[in-house]
Amino acid sequence: MRRVSSVLAVAAVLLIVGLCAALLLLFGYDGPAAHAGAPYLDRAARDTGAANLVAGIVFDYRFYDTLFEILVFGVAVLGVRFALAQEAPSATAEPIPESRIVRISADLLFGPILLLGAYLILHGHLSPGGGFAGGTVAGTGLLLCAVALGADRVAAFLHEGLLERLEWLILFAILFVALLPTLLGLAPLTGLLPRGVVGRPASAGPVLLLNVLVGAKVFIGAWAVIYAFSRHRGEI
Amino acid sequence: MIARTSLLLLLPIVAAFALTRRRRITAVIGMATFSLLLSGVYLLLYAPDVAVTEAAIGAALVTFIYVLAIRRTGRLVVVGDEAPGLLEREGERIIGLEHAILTGFAKHLGLDLVVHFLPSAEARAVLRRGEADLAAGGIVARHLEEGLRASSGFLETAFFDVAGPGPHGAEAGPPPSPTYFVDVLDAVREGRQLTATFDLARFLALSRLDLSRYRVRRLPGTEQYVFALQESNTELARRLEAFLLDLRASGRLETLRARYIQ
Repeated sequence: MRRVSSVLAVAAVLLIVGLCAALLLLFGYDGPAAHAGAPYLDRAARDTGAANLVAGIVFDYRFYDTLFEILVFGVAVLGVRFALAQEAPSATAEPIPESRIVRISADLLFGPILLLGAYLILHGHLSPGGGFAGGTVAGTGLLLCAVALGADRVAAFLHEGLLERLEWLILFAILFVALLPTLLGLAPLTGLLPRGVVGRPASAGPVLLLNVLVGAKVFIGAWAVIYAFSRHRGEI
Repeated sequence: MIARTSLLLLLPIVAAFALTRRRRITAVIGMATFSLLLSGVYLLLYAPDVAVTEAAIGAALVTFIYVLAIRRTGRLVVVGDEAPGLLEREGERIIGLEHAILTGFAKHLGLDLVVHFLPSAEARAVLRRGEADLAAGGIVARHLEEGLRASSGFLETAFFDVAGPGPHGAEAGPPPSPTYFVDVLDAVREGRQLTATFDLARFLALSRLDLSRYRVRRLPGTEQYVFALQESNTELARRLEAFLLDLRASGRLETLRARYIQ
């Protein structure tokens, strides 16, 4: 019975993935819609000053949506903190001795991963990446350290209280950037910083600033959630 | 075109691989590979932003969260003291009949076997607190406290009183003391005072030392070595029974006994 259902599951997945693959191959990027985007690209670069159209959309055209996305993320982190704060931290069992392979690769990879995260955040308005992806990458770097060294040792380096305050500060900074135009009597969510020349490091108005803020928020939030889970649900 | 097609063809293969793995960590690695390939597909479809996000979240972050979860749940944690021939250390490795049975059982469940060596009494306390899945190391059903259950037996054993040297060793010894068996071996090697009862496996190891100054008495009757589980853990007990039954019926238990027990 179990065998039959797992065969069925595999068959279903194969069918779905096969269909998607066929659709992509038939209509994917050589289809009629593939080259219809060029005018949008030009227009968006002129409008937002961001060479990366996605960053322009996320932090300029559709900043309103992004704002709530950030709030949703903040509320989720807050929810995990509050829900788990009511449970007693689990007694720390004997730490699991991690293999040398994991420890050495964590040592070697931690720096490059943080650097990649920083690059994705700081270069997000010019090339693929941005605050959300970059923050996740950097957070994963921290997670790698937590796997290799144990979450508590990493947490001791990070000053949990300071991080939490920093997270609130970032949230209010993002809200401030969003609300400032309204407070000054301009149209809501107007970018106040100069747009600059498309493709230059200092361009795209507030996109770079917002990428940095969002990146830091995602970085801290991801770590906070994982650390809360590990502290209340046994060892990492 | 070739890169795109081969990536797309690889996706269902990797997905099927991940779905059909018994061992969880292999399945998770399969899923990470799937995410990475998918990220490659996004890249080839001119969606580098989505590709970066897929790689960061699907291939890295989610994999890590799974790995963390598996470290807690993907292990069959066994506690117990060393018992020569059943569960004993040989340098870095662990060998013995119980270890061989449990290795097979863990593989059968798709888990990784982890053995922590603790004094027998402490091992049972740890098991009762739910910090381990099984206790092993020369356990018989008679020794189990409330809240613990025994599996069916897999090997016959008998008990021996060892007392001495000295005058007051004649009475039956106290229950197994909360020390490691290696410490008992040291005590006998140095001829220290000792009053204890030992199961057959441990007694055989003791009898290789000089026991001439100790009084030895075989207790009447035979018993069976068992594994101990939490009383409430009916699911694991059921699967262990089925596994032991299969081991006995297929004759593999006999083979293992012959290999580890002389």
